[in-house]
Amino acid sequence: MSVEALGSPTLEAAPVGRSHVLRRLMRDKVAATATVVLTLVVLAAIFAPVLAPYDPYFTDLTIVMQPPSAEHWFGTDNTGRDILSRVIYGTRNTLMLGLVGVLIGGLFGGFLGILAAFYPRLDGWIMRLVDVMLAFPAILIGLAVAAIFGAGLAAVVIALVVATVPDVARVARGAAVGVMGQEFMEAGRAVGVSDTTLIWRYLTLNCISTIFVFLTLRFGQIILIGSALGFLGMGAQPPTAELGMMAAQGRDFLFMAPHIATIPSLAIFVIVLAANLLGDALRDVLDPRLQQ
Amino acid sequence: MARQIVHRLLISFPALLGVLFLCFCWLQVVPADPAMIIAGPDAKAETIAAIRLELGLDRPIPVQFMEYILRVLRGDLGRSIISNKMVTEELGMTIGPTVELMVGGMLIAVPSGLALGTLAAVNRGRIADRIIMACSVAGVSMPVFFIGLLLIQYVGFKWALLPFTGRTGPVWDGGLPSLILPAATLGAVLIGPIARLTRTAVLEVLGADFVRTARAKGLRETVVIVHHALRNALIPVVTLIGLQAAFLLGGAVVTETMFSWPGVGRLAVGAIVSSDFPTAQGAIMILAMAFLLINLLVDVLYVYLDPRVQRS
Repeated sequence: MSVEALGSPTLEAAPVGRSHVLRRLMRDKVAATATVVLTLVVLAAIFAPVLAPYDPYFTDLTIVMQPPSAEHWFGTDNTGRDILSRVIYGTRNTLMLGLVGVLIGGLFGGFLGILAAFYPRLDGWIMRLVDVMLAFPAILIGLAVAAIFGAGLAAVVIALVVATVPDVARVARGAAVGVMGQEFMEAGRAVGVSDTTLIWRYLTLNCISTIFVFLTLRFGQIILIGSALGFLGMGAQPPTAELGMMAAQGRDFLFMAPHIATIPSLAIFVIVLAANLLGDALRDVLDPRLQQ
Repeated sequence: MARQIVHRLLISFPALLGVLFLCFCWLQVVPADPAMIIAGPDAKAETIAAIRLELGLDRPIPVQFMEYILRVLRGDLGRSIISNKMVTEELGMTIGPTVELMVGGMLIAVPSGLALGTLAAVNRGRIADRIIMACSVAGVSMPVFFIGLLLIQYVGFKWALLPFTGRTGPVWDGGLPSLILPAATLGAVLIGPIARLTRTAVLEVLGADFVRTARAKGLRETVVIVHHALRNALIPVVTLIGLQAAFLLGGAVVTETMFSWPGVGRLAVGAIVSSDFPTAQGAIMILAMAFLLINLLVDVLYVYLDPRVQRS
């Protein structure tokens, strides 16, 4: 029998099918609501140009700082821009930041963690590196990167990636060390499977659901960090709409028109809340081992 | 226990060296030449070259790194480009307020988190449990600045109960009112996770044999919960605080900026905005070291709380 014919071994005797996961998620009312909210938010972000009632960058100085009304559902900001339109576009930027940060960070972190578990010689080095990375809170990395390249979305993305890598590396290593102890790893080695195949098809495939669930759990946090950097002025620069930065701009008018700062903050809260609830539910269904 | 601490100190040494190395690298890539800054905008090329020689900027990078470490050990982090004060002096003025803010935040977060978590565990499945857990998830999902904005808007401005800009002085010298809102903002972020973990930990301990024994002895329920259950539940909570240290420091940066709190975080943000790289480097280094220190303290506290760790 050739090695290829063996296929990829999996840990679960009965693999959790996609429809099964969905059904279990939908049974939980909270998770179902979170899924619906998050889907709507993502759709709104994708179709922002269609959905936004006004141009998010169009200033009209005759209608500055208006409270929510029938014409402007979320009111207008200090330069008369429609806040609803800006929140829709801002959601787009904020979501993108979180998604790119989590995906790239997850890729690097997962890779490092799996390598550390597979090659004991690298383990010490990689974990020390992770320790050093952990010593820099994400906000600090954002500040440092912004100082080098100038404030902007790129600085925030780099900070979010660096913030994601060490945690994911730890979780991936933990999961991979568990898989390394399985008999099929030994069997694979015994029949002469190459290291690359062992890593990709044996190890990675069996760790991927743990990493994925962890990334879902981190997504909310990453968005919070990204928007905090935006709030500090290290992220998107005006007039670009990004929720954290919008909240910071509204801070100057907090006592005259509190809605300018409150509505973008509230939008971040709703997104992160939905992401956290969905992450929790996904973890319960897919990987209860991650539960604290 | 002393051996444990020494061991832990040795382990954090590579991380400390890494922090220094990254700060050094950062200063190399930052778009500012110290020689040009010292020489002034209209200095001649020879002057700049002379200053470069004097500062040792022409020497190989590894040599410069060693010198950098020696300088940091001597407490010389350079001069601020903006205020021309020594960076260490600037840091000395800002560390106090930051420590005050973080301790204040913890003093708000830890007791309320423990109390809420225990309350939820004892009332498992009942309405109190559900409300507390819902609030805890909501709390985790709130941006720090949102909490701050709400506190400023209502408690500070509308109801005019507490000051919300700047620091009037040290806590022991009438500074307490100005500390409350920033500390509450910072602490609020941690209440949720602490409550959640406390609930899980207390629930686990409540099922343990020694709790049953304590009850069988006829101890009062409060004694059982506070002395037997909560004390043991503290261990995971302490770990959580170590894990959340990064979050706490990041939160401090945002909180200080919002409340014009004269701490290290605000110093860092201000320095970066005004391209004051020596100051920014010093502030970032101190914050990273603070992170290592918090984790060190957590490990030491661990040994104190759980004697089993000491033996293993």
